[in-house]
Amino acid sequence: MMTSPWALILPLAAGTFTIRLSGALLGARIPTHGRWARAMQALPGCLIVSLVAVSLISGGPREWIAGLVAALAALATRSLPFTMVFGIAAIWLLRHYF
Amino acid sequence: MTNSEDSFLTGAREIAPLVLGVSIYGLAYGLLAAQAGFSPFDVAGMGVIVFAGSSQIVATQQWLAGAGAFAALIAGLALNLRIVLITASIPDVFAGRPLWQKALAAHLAADENWAMLLQRRAKGRVAGFRYFVGGGVAQFVAWGCATTLGAALSVAIPDPKSLGMDFAFTAAFIAIARALFRGRRDLAPWAVSLGVAGVGLATGWIAAPWAIVLGGLAGAATAGFSSDDD
Repeated sequence: MMTSPWALILPLAAGTFTIRLSGALLGARIPTHGRWARAMQALPGCLIVSLVAVSLISGGPREWIAGLVAALAALATRSLPFTMVFGIAAIWLLRHYF
Repeated sequence: MTNSEDSFLTGAREIAPLVLGVSIYGLAYGLLAAQAGFSPFDVAGMGVIVFAGSSQIVATQQWLAGAGAFAALIAGLALNLRIVLITASIPDVFAGRPLWQKALAAHLAADENWAMLLQRRAKGRVAGFRYFVGGGVAQFVAWGCATTLGAALSVAIPDPKSLGMDFAFTAAFIAIARALFRGRRDLAPWAVSLGVAGVGLATGWIAAPWAIVLGGLAGAATAGFSSDDD
């Protein structure tokens, strides 16, 4: 007999909401100048870079090449949808023909 | 008008291209959840009360792999730790709002509507609470519908990975990184993030969720301790 998925879903929901709300309530007390502010301003980009690094490393050479194609598309078009289209098309071609 | 006013509809409209990618990813998540024994009702409920795609995916993968509810929970929550930094990075969105509106905007906080907000501000346009909630609601509805549909249609949809759908998020984040790049002062922090997350994960020193959190924090700390004036 399998445990109900709600044994996972309910605590995940409670924990996630706590994380989200604490950031919202804490954020207002954060200073706007100095080291802490510089770190907070740099954080979004750093998290995105880490996310991309982790997803690419979790893949293989095909994902790395498709990532390069997406990066070139991002540099050339500066467009989110175009970057996604190029990235997905690249990974599809690579997985089917290489 | 849309350039000078904080607008719910502008937020919902501008996030549409991202929401399309999220919907495709959501369909793939629904398939995964169905494999793990979740009913469409379970998936719909999870989408509404958790609403954190990547953590739902990680937690469900662990659950499917037989890791047990606690390990699956820790894996999912670890990935969500970054959201505290996301909501903390936009205090003006929450400032002066009643608690229920803070709770609403916080629950709708995701990588996508946060990135869209920053992207719009980087272009010198206005974006605040309404823009953020508009994008969040659009994504919330799309995520709930797509994941539930994926679970319901799990027998009829071919392997999503063979269609390249799993790469949608990676490509989207690459585009967002391009939009967030602020020039030379980002080079050192980003290199540190890339190094910590990349080396940590590749050597097996830390698992993926911790690699993301540690990489982000290490890069931010580098920026904090740099002597550049902003």
